[in-house]
Amino acid sequence: MEQKVIISNKAGIHARPASMLVQAATKFKSKIKLTAKGKTVDAKSILMIMSMGLVNGTEVVISAEGDDADKAVTTLKDLVNSKFGEE
Amino acid sequence: MPEVLRGKGVISGIAIGKILLVGQNIDGYLADYKPESKDAELAKVEKALQAVTEILQKNVKTLQERDMPEQAAIMEAHRMMAQDPMMEDSMKSKVEEFGSAPRAVLAAAEESAAMFERMDDAYFRERAVDIRDVCKRIAKYILGVKEPELGAAAVILCGNEIEPSVIANIPTEKIAGVILGQGSTTCHAVIIAKARAIATVVGLGERVDIIKDGDSVLLDGETGEIIISPTEDMITSYKEKMQKQSEIKAYYAKLAPLPAETTDGVRVELMANIGTHMDVESALAYGCEGVGLFRSEFVFMGRQNIPTEEDQFKTYKEAVEKCNGNLCVIRTMDIGGDKPLAYLEIPKEENPFLGWRAIRISLQRRDLFMPQLKAILRAGVYGKAAIMLPMVINVAEIKQVKELIEQAKIELAHEEKAFSNNVQLGIMVETPAAAVMAPMLAKHVDFFSIGTNDLVQYTLAVDRVNHNVSYLYNHFNPAVLNLIQTTIKAARDNGIWAGMCGEMASDPYAAVILMAMGINELSMSAPSIPKVKDKIRSVTFTKAKATLDAIMKMEDGDAIKEYLYKSL
Repeated sequence: MEQKVIISNKAGIHARPASMLVQAATKFKSKIKLTAKGKTVDAKSILMIMSMGLVNGTEVVISAEGDDADKAVTTLKDLVNSKFGEE
Repeated sequence: MPEVLRGKGVISGIAIGKILLVGQNIDGYLADYKPESKDAELAKVEKALQAVTEILQKNVKTLQERDMPEQAAIMEAHRMMAQDPMMEDSMKSKVEEFGSAPRAVLAAAEESAAMFERMDDAYFRERAVDIRDVCKRIAKYILGVKEPELGAAAVILCGNEIEPSVIANIPTEKIAGVILGQGSTTCHAVIIAKARAIATVVGLGERVDIIKDGDSVLLDGETGEIIISPTEDMITSYKEKMQKQSEIKAYYAKLAPLPAETTDGVRVELMANIGTHMDVESALAYGCEGVGLFRSEFVFMGRQNIPTEEDQFKTYKEAVEKCNGNLCVIRTMDIGGDKPLAYLEIPKEENPFLGWRAIRISLQRRDLFMPQLKAILRAGVYGKAAIMLPMVINVAEIKQVKELIEQAKIELAHEEKAFSNNVQLGIMVETPAAAVMAPMLAKHVDFFSIGTNDLVQYTLAVDRVNHNVSYLYNHFNPAVLNLIQTTIKAARDNGIWAGMCGEMASDPYAAVILMAMGINELSMSAPSIPKVKDKIRSVTFTKAKATLDAIMKMEDGDAIKEYLYKSL
């Protein structure tokens, strides 16, 4: 299960959105990964997510493997699309 | 056995209490650390990660309860770093390499931090600070360095340097004293301690490491004496000294409700310099008639991003309200390259005191300045607020700010937020340029406040922390006195008020001279108010005026000082 999403909040994935992503990801049992700019990282690691430098406009592929994979991918995708409650 | 150390006493008072180490330097602990087996070290890493995670969780909860959502979000990010799977793996593999848990933690932090520092985006580069911060906490836990956790009894804070945010966040009644290894008396930690009248000794240098966490210590902020594990006799004799000090305090307390008025009826307003809104209450107890300088830097420091208009509004509103209808002068951000902030992105400067700082930053960084202006205008609804601009050198800067204030009002009106139209606008006169140009600047503002710390430094070209030249630093230097007189005269000629918020204002001898020059207001750290008031109440204006006439004819600053000590 995987889906593409574009980072649309102005500030990109700084500490707060990154922590929101991790918070959401850790609720699922599935292995969840984010892929962008040719790199794939564990979506449950705030450092790995932040180290990708996801600025506004970056395309990210969210993928998951496990029992709740579908729900995990949709949840994270919705979160990115909600702009984390920012501008 | 008691051990006696001597530093420089900067804020008088006697404190007896247990030491709480809040220093940032853990090298000593690292050197003393004896690692055990690899398995034991691995277990220590796991235990520390869990413990720090719990502490951070508590921090997040407290910050949320205190309605500080932004700081809570940052602590939440820190918590996640402590629980990060990549971080844990990296730390564990470093244990294999170094054999020592704390070293492994710090090495893993360095590696991750370095990765962030190589990134293109400035925001991400600065996250290196967070990673180091979290990992230092973890390493401290393993090393047994205590977090500044507060019990019921007041403690003596001790460290080589103490971050201003650490002191700012601890309630006054929990701090009995402060001990610093470094020697500056103008660092922010000292300024906050001064505003709160906390006995403070600085300049111990490396000897600060002799003092250990939990030591019983007796500290004399006047003599600079620090006694570790004092005997009963010592405590008794110091308690007697404390008794005498409290008698003086009682005398000063009686002065609090009385005006600062000469025996022949000339009055000066005495106001307080404060660092946080929490300082207003203690300042009122010293008999201040409002706040002459609210340093807004602390609103900007100790955080990861620009404080929002809402955060600032709450702080200013509280300060303005607590002034009970007296004026509360809020100085806009006065920060430069000497204390860089992550989100300010100030490049390294050769000469930060002549560089991009204070109003110069505010005028270029509207994202920083507009929320501050709007927050002050809104706070003005709750009492009497004033905006004061630091480091002004020309009329153009004032004009630009006036335009921005108009714009801020339009925005506030659109946002349907209440604001005051009666917020005064004034400038700090702290550059020779502003003092010389005072007659012109006076036409554009509601008041002047002379900032002597910088005015003396800039006028005499003397860095007062440089031991080789600090003897030249003297606020009675005739060049300085002339600039001050020009400034006060310009204010009076143009019908605006003139005040002073530099350290000179807390010198009772200077206060008399300034009053003779026609100053309307003196603002100082609150504990200095009684002694200045006592002096003013002991002289006549006629005498002050005659003394002023005499010293303005003198050529030498040291001679002036001597003359004043003798004749007043």
